[in-house]
Amino acid sequence: MSLLQLNDVHTFIEQFHILEGVSLDVPEGSIVALLGRNGAGKTTTLKTILGLTPARSGSVVFEDTDIKDMRSFDIAAMGIGYVPEHRAIFADLSVEENLRIAERKRGDLDRKEELIFGLFPDLRRLIHLPGTSLSGGQQQMLAVARALVPDNRLLQIDEPSEGLAPVLIEQMMEAIARLSDTTTVLLVEQNFIVASRLGQSYVIIEEGRSVQSGNMSDLVDDQETIQRYLGV
Amino acid sequence: MTDSKQIDQIESPSRSRNRRIADVLKRNRARASVVAFLVFLFAAGMAGIEPSKWFSTVMQGLSVGALVFLVASGFQLIFGLMDVLNLAHGEIFMLGAYVGWTIYTRFDTFIDVLIPLLVVSAPFALMPLWRRYGARISGLARWARTATWGLIVSGAALVVIAITKFPLVIWDPDNYASTPVNMSVQVDLGTLAPLPAESFGWPWVVSFLLLFLGGTVVAVGLSAFRRQGIQPAPVTTRNLATVAGLLVAALVLYLVKGSLNDWVFGLSTTWRFFMAVVVSAMVGAALGALIEIALIRPLYDRPIYTLMITLGVGFVIIEMVREVWGRPSFSMARPAAFNGSGEGCPAEGIGGFFSGCATFVMFGSRLRVYNEGFIVLMGILVLVGVTLLLKKTRIGMTIRAGVQDPEMVEALGINVRRVFTQVFALGSGLAAMGGVLAAPSIGLSAEMGATFLLTAIVALAIGGLTSFPGAAAGALLIGLIQQVIIRLGQTGIDLPFLSEPFKPSPTLVPAASIILMVVILLILPSGLFGRGER
Repeated sequence: MSLLQLNDVHTFIEQFHILEGVSLDVPEGSIVALLGRNGAGKTTTLKTILGLTPARSGSVVFEDTDIKDMRSFDIAAMGIGYVPEHRAIFADLSVEENLRIAERKRGDLDRKEELIFGLFPDLRRLIHLPGTSLSGGQQQMLAVARALVPDNRLLQIDEPSEGLAPVLIEQMMEAIARLSDTTTVLLVEQNFIVASRLGQSYVIIEEGRSVQSGNMSDLVDDQETIQRYLGV
Repeated sequence: MTDSKQIDQIESPSRSRNRRIADVLKRNRARASVVAFLVFLFAAGMAGIEPSKWFSTVMQGLSVGALVFLVASGFQLIFGLMDVLNLAHGEIFMLGAYVGWTIYTRFDTFIDVLIPLLVVSAPFALMPLWRRYGARISGLARWARTATWGLIVSGAALVVIAITKFPLVIWDPDNYASTPVNMSVQVDLGTLAPLPAESFGWPWVVSFLLLFLGGTVVAVGLSAFRRQGIQPAPVTTRNLATVAGLLVAALVLYLVKGSLNDWVFGLSTTWRFFMAVVVSAMVGAALGALIEIALIRPLYDRPIYTLMITLGVGFVIIEMVREVWGRPSFSMARPAAFNGSGEGCPAEGIGGFFSGCATFVMFGSRLRVYNEGFIVLMGILVLVGVTLLLKKTRIGMTIRAGVQDPEMVEALGINVRRVFTQVFALGSGLAAMGGVLAAPSIGLSAEMGATFLLTAIVALAIGGLTSFPGAAAGALLIGLIQQVIIRLGQTGIDLPFLSEPFKPSPTLVPAASIILMVVILLILPSGLFGRGER
């Protein structure tokens, strides 16, 4: 059963035609990796789903509701968590407040405390520090943790491994793999090794179009496709 | 050497704390030197003033600073969160003063205007219903869509006609006996009475119906404008409750207004003044919210347009005030609690605050209870209150987060636009409150807003446009430097090479704040507390 379905989505940012027909399908309970070169439109796809850069045509269906024309905060409140590319940790807020602000119901954070600190034990120690005093890796953990605070059905994670040390990438991958037991994940990842180990299926985006999709296990052996679209 | 090493090992927490303090000092070297320079300047200026006067100079500085802060704080909150330079902010301050004066002096007029306003605003609570009709209009052919404007204009015309037939008791700027100027004098003498009610135009039921109908027609017209992302929503019981509440409030006010007026006019001016402060702040907040929703919200992506539209709104408010309250500036009688004299006055010390005297003596300086006591107190209360709001509440947390990244806040499922409206209302409410507080001290004129806004902007440049504590610090500095210069103008400074003491002329007062701003901005381009561009 699919949790999220995009059908021929076109998005404009000002007059620029960024997405020129993206279709994808995120089955419930899976990790779908969104692949493609820099500037192909992966981040815009995530933002379009959230309504931050609204789609002009096509359909975006989340849990049987067309969310294409809804306002961002209404879409997010339906249960979509977002971990943006540059983490977007709030500098003036403490680590705790950075988590607290994501609450949709009172007490969300207290209910998820165990899950969050189980995945990222470091955060417990840092809880009272200001958001910006964290290292890049800690900020990335905080950004993922923040998306876990409310009961989200879908997590959109943009480039979780970007700029992280290898040991932290391992930790982050383990965390994402573990939380996918309870949530569906739509993952944008440049690092193909990370993407191929985490993702169960993939969608390739090229120049604003979704050009190919399928099972990750098939893609790993398909050197030609990898060369052609990902240019590794 | 060894000693310090041992201490280091034993007391590592305190060592790291020392190092952190050293770090902070190092990073803030420029800031620290500016503060040191200011302290020096202040001390040098004060050296020329006799000790008994300097305390009152400082307190007067605090008083001016508090008023500037009330304007600057709202301006800063709005700019910080929404990047909107609200050039109408000064005019909201000014309008706050006039509305406050009206509640204080002519409560009957205020009620008479409030009732039709409540009736007209009632239909707007049913927006989800009107959108269904509005959607039909926006689905029509292009020429037919002018119907939108037809609806708005005809609805507005209906409202205007209904209001002119509504019995308003109002002053008359052209007839001295009933000008605002004269009424202020009457309040001071205690001879002001309610104006006689005018004869009825139409029965109130007809007026109410016409007003409601006019409001409805305007609302339907407005709902036809296409707004992105608004889903058809059902009419909830909350909508209906709001409509019913507004109508019932209007009806009850209408029925009891005679006895309500008598009761209010029987109250002491002190209570009327506090009522004026609260109600005027609420009116300012409502006006701010209205401006944000109707004019600023469609233009967030076009900063120049918001700048122009707020400027225009400011001019409209100025002309409206001139039309309604008349051109001459006038004073507002000081409330009784701050105006006493005679036996036991001036009171001694801080207790003098509650003695009902106009002045009190502290540290050998004679201070005015209202200006140097009450206004300063209100400034401090607002500073503490807003700081607590920002630091301790969820909405404060959302504001602080939204200042940095509104898009991410929205992506967390928070209605940022609503927070924008709330902050606009808060800022405008603070400005309007500042206006009422300023009125008994500096009087009312249609130009007072522009002057204060300019001072507030200079204060914000000094304190840092991106920082709320900066608004307080900048306002305080401006107040102090102005008052010190004024005081030096009276006492003079002994300068070398000059036979006469140098007395700064009054024109130097505004110049001094600008010079202070220039000096500070040369050293700290983003102000005392501001963060640099990211």
